[in-house]
Amino acid sequence: MKAYFTYFKLKFISGLQYRSAAWAGIATQFFFGFVYVMIYIAFYDSGGENLPMNIHQVITYLWLNQSLLALVNQFSKDQELFKMVKDGTISYELARPKNLYFMWYFKVLGQRLSNVVLRFFPLILVTSLLPKPYTFGGPSSLFNFLLFLISLTIGTLLVTALTVLYPIITLTTMSEKGIVNIMISIADILSGLVVPIPFFPLFLQKISKFLPFQYISDLPFRIYVGNVDILFGIHGIFIQTIWFIIIVFFGFSLMKKNLKRVVVQGG
Amino acid sequence: MKIYVKALGMHLKSELEYRVNFILSFLSQILVFFTYYFVILSLFTKFSHIKGFSLWEVLLCFSIIQFGFSFNEVFARGVDKFDELIIRGDFDLLLIRPRNILLQVLCSDSDFVKVSRIIQAIIVLILSIIHLDIQWNILKVFTLFLMLVSSCVIFFGIFLMAASYCFYTIQGLEVRNVFTDGGKQMAQYPIGVFQKGFVLFFTFIIPYAFVNYYPLLYLLGKKEQYYYGLSPLLVFLYLIPCIMMFYQGMKRYTSVGS
Repeated sequence: MKAYFTYFKLKFISGLQYRSAAWAGIATQFFFGFVYVMIYIAFYDSGGENLPMNIHQVITYLWLNQSLLALVNQFSKDQELFKMVKDGTISYELARPKNLYFMWYFKVLGQRLSNVVLRFFPLILVTSLLPKPYTFGGPSSLFNFLLFLISLTIGTLLVTALTVLYPIITLTTMSEKGIVNIMISIADILSGLVVPIPFFPLFLQKISKFLPFQYISDLPFRIYVGNVDILFGIHGIFIQTIWFIIIVFFGFSLMKKNLKRVVVQGG
Repeated sequence: MKIYVKALGMHLKSELEYRVNFILSFLSQILVFFTYYFVILSLFTKFSHIKGFSLWEVLLCFSIIQFGFSFNEVFARGVDKFDELIIRGDFDLLLIRPRNILLQVLCSDSDFVKVSRIIQAIIVLILSIIHLDIQWNILKVFTLFLMLVSSCVIFFGIFLMAASYCFYTIQGLEVRNVFTDGGKQMAQYPIGVFQKGFVLFFTFIIPYAFVNYYPLLYLLGKKEQYYYGLSPLLVFLYLIPCIMMFYQGMKRYTSVGS
């Protein structure tokens, strides 16, 4: 266990070195967030019926999404792991007397956390100081905030498990272009990264109920803004945990299976 | 021009060497691209219009911007990825050849997978034109043509500006994404839906509004004056400072390669 934690720490600390990249990321995300906020405001000004969220909830949701993007997205793949699979460095990893799945898991987790720690606070600080209606609002209640923290934690564990899954699949497909990239872009849509799930067409909302993706960030964010009631939130956290266990188990056994006939590429 | 076409052909051939990979990437690009449309499509299931613009009007705007952006990704990839050229030190190679530098940069790279995006943009463009009830006349056809061309021109200008920045910083700055990807993200909507300050910035500093807002108003019959239809021509002027900046930056160039 201690060894895995060291991997986590290593990635976390080395990730913190990339501060100028983080500043660039903050600027980009602020701009993107602002554009999205203005688009939603324009839509709400134009009027609509049966809207699933009020404008303040949407805006807070959007800012949460932007400031935690480094944590909850799947499109920024862990290039290092893909590289390992593609150029054969994986053979070194296999030589280590530790389980490869958990080594990768903790590396990715450390990377993600350090990325988000650098970006989160400045963005939240700046956006909470914006004038209304652009401002990032507080949680709807203290209890909601606590639930948010719990479900965000499990959501992070879940998204890490999914991120580790993609290079494992690449062990069979050999290139992440194609199938894996297609999977990732679908996953990102269905986790509510581009549009909050309540705005989905109804049939897609139904489909995403049976998939793990909306439990990554959509659930915690909606708990935070108070768009779901407490009972639904607790129920969601329960399902989240089950998905997390399933994905870890699936990734673990898929890796075991793939490693039996692993091909080391490169020379 | 001949050299450029030949270089393109070479890039295409080398990409087609990995056929399955090419096809799969092509398909996945279509899907990635679809995520952009997804925002619009799902929001319009809840709202009927955005500041008076209907779904198809916004999609028209969308497709024009996407067309210009992807066009540059395919045909001006070298400018887009200019920082790599500098970091690898390969720019020195271009300097010793007796040809126009900019032409050589254009020849240096290209990404044919992105053709899928161009095709998709054209399909959306055609669909939205069919669905919209536009009173066509010669000038409007010309306006549409100008919008498409100026969309290519403006992204070329912005890529070029970002590239000239690389001469000073050596590395590609991620902040450029604000103006390329971010600008694209924003310009997919008719710029009038945004706040005043934004509209002014993207009219006078980076003239996106002349690509897809003022001419759009004319095209849709929201404005009658003909100069709205001709306003994309102003974007061509924007190219002048961009090219000047590039050559100005080149004077400052010091090699990093070995």
